[in-house]
Amino acid sequence: MSAIINVSHVHKSFGALIAVDDLSFTVDGSNCFGLLGPNGAGKTTMMKMIYGKARRDSNPTGSIQAFGFDPGKQELDVKILSGVVPQENNLDAELNVFQNLLVYSKFYGMSKAESRPRIDELLTFFELSEKKKSKIRELSGGMKRRLVIARALLHTPKLLILDEPTTGLDPQVRHLIWEKLRQLKKEGLTILLTTHYMEEAFQLCDTILIMDKGRKIMEGSPQSLVKDNIESYVLEIHSDEATKAVLKIGDVDDIRLDRTHERPFLYSQDLETLQKYARQLGKGGYYIRQSNLEDLFLKLTGRALGADQ
Amino acid sequence: MVQTNNIPSLPARLYSVWYRHMLVYTRNLVSNGLPPFLEPLIFLAGVGLGLGKYITAMDGIPYLQYLASGLLVTSAMYTASFECTYGTFIRLEYDHAYDGMLASPITANDLILGEILWAGTKGFFFSFAVLVIVTVFDIIQPGLSLLAPFIGFLTGLLFASISLWVTSFVKTINHFNFYMTGFLSPMFFFSGVVFPISSLPKALRPFAEVMPLTHVVRLIRAFCNSDFYIMLWWDFSYVVVITVVFGYFAIRRLKKRMIA
Repeated sequence: MSAIINVSHVHKSFGALIAVDDLSFTVDGSNCFGLLGPNGAGKTTMMKMIYGKARRDSNPTGSIQAFGFDPGKQELDVKILSGVVPQENNLDAELNVFQNLLVYSKFYGMSKAESRPRIDELLTFFELSEKKKSKIRELSGGMKRRLVIARALLHTPKLLILDEPTTGLDPQVRHLIWEKLRQLKKEGLTILLTTHYMEEAFQLCDTILIMDKGRKIMEGSPQSLVKDNIESYVLEIHSDEATKAVLKIGDVDDIRLDRTHERPFLYSQDLETLQKYARQLGKGGYYIRQSNLEDLFLKLTGRALGADQ
Repeated sequence: MVQTNNIPSLPARLYSVWYRHMLVYTRNLVSNGLPPFLEPLIFLAGVGLGLGKYITAMDGIPYLQYLASGLLVTSAMYTASFECTYGTFIRLEYDHAYDGMLASPITANDLILGEILWAGTKGFFFSFAVLVIVTVFDIIQPGLSLLAPFIGFLTGLLFASISLWVTSFVKTINHFNFYMTGFLSPMFFFSGVVFPISSLPKALRPFAEVMPLTHVVRLIRAFCNSDFYIMLWWDFSYVVVITVVFGYFAIRRLKKRMIA
């Protein structure tokens, strides 16, 4: 599998603010690659540099290659092969669903004979056919989001770039979008996305890169990152009584106590160890679950992910 | 491995930007187009018919005709100026329309040039609309005046360039009030639309000569009165140079705002 995107030692600063700090990664074809991190981590800036909406710093020198093109110099070559779904739905409110897509088909240089069937095909795929003549304000948030994704796919790009594809959507729509993206990936589409949802990264991504303050913290498959870097189970404490009990018990072998949250979290490789421990806490006020990326992020950065910062 | 020949050509890219604006604008054609069309006609009726009773001729031309020919280009000036100040600013800062367009195979240069061409088209259209009315009412006799929309197009390009340059500095939408009231309104009265520049106090005349509107007004009068003279080439050149220079700096400055 050949690399579609090569990012090597890229820096980007806005005045004194360093948005991206010496970032390097590679995205393989027909893969889904996720940039994960809290708000302000530099995810969006990194993506914008890939499709030419932002320019990387020229000093220190780094390089970005997408399909072998430098987006700083050959932005059109990159853009014709990529579809972009920005963080905000920027649909034209004056136009209906069909016209929104028609306008973009012109941007991609498609003729009417090419665009008409493609628009119908995409509306069917995203279950929007009935809304073809609807005004944008008549669409739900989930429909708008699907329309923006459809718009990015008009010219059958090889790379789809999604900036927080499902932020603010209800679980049903989120699952529908994930399902569609998985289908597209199966058909050979390469996907680059940013998210701060752990579940989204787990559901979609083959590889994730966790970043914070512009820097890479860790990269790998979501499953292996969790497996290799964090204990398998977590005991979450919810009540005051249980918290007091935990503090009274103190350190225990084979259990790691994390006090970054307001409430203590206890991690262990062994489920039984945690269950035994939990029984000492009395009735309720706690919850045992498998660990996830969120726990990993917390361990790596010492703070919660997804919080507004 | 990768095909690059399917990138749309420059004319196709400019056309696609133009097409987008045209489609969005014409969805609400009546509310978008009627007021700027009626405004010069109301002015013509109010001032022309009223004052026209007392002023029979201005610069040797019937006053109503004098005023009407000037209004052919001011309608183009206003529509292009509004489009490339408020319109552009809203697309840039509120609608995020440009963010989406710039993610497709369109460069910032294409986008701004397409914007200027669209404003030129609106200038053409409004000059044409006003021309139809004043010709039907026999205020201006058909002839070379039928070429007025092309001067309207030129006027549209001119004020699009200047307005985009102004927009490149603006951080808050209210700041456009200064441009409208401080620049366009005085220019309307002191560039030979309502009365000749020769009637201005001597000290003010050089300022009127600097105003871009003065030069398109001379061009339109020449076509409406079939009265051509060599100095019109100076007026034409002035308009072209101002358009190109302001257009160039507008693109440079706006590009920095669009591509971080």
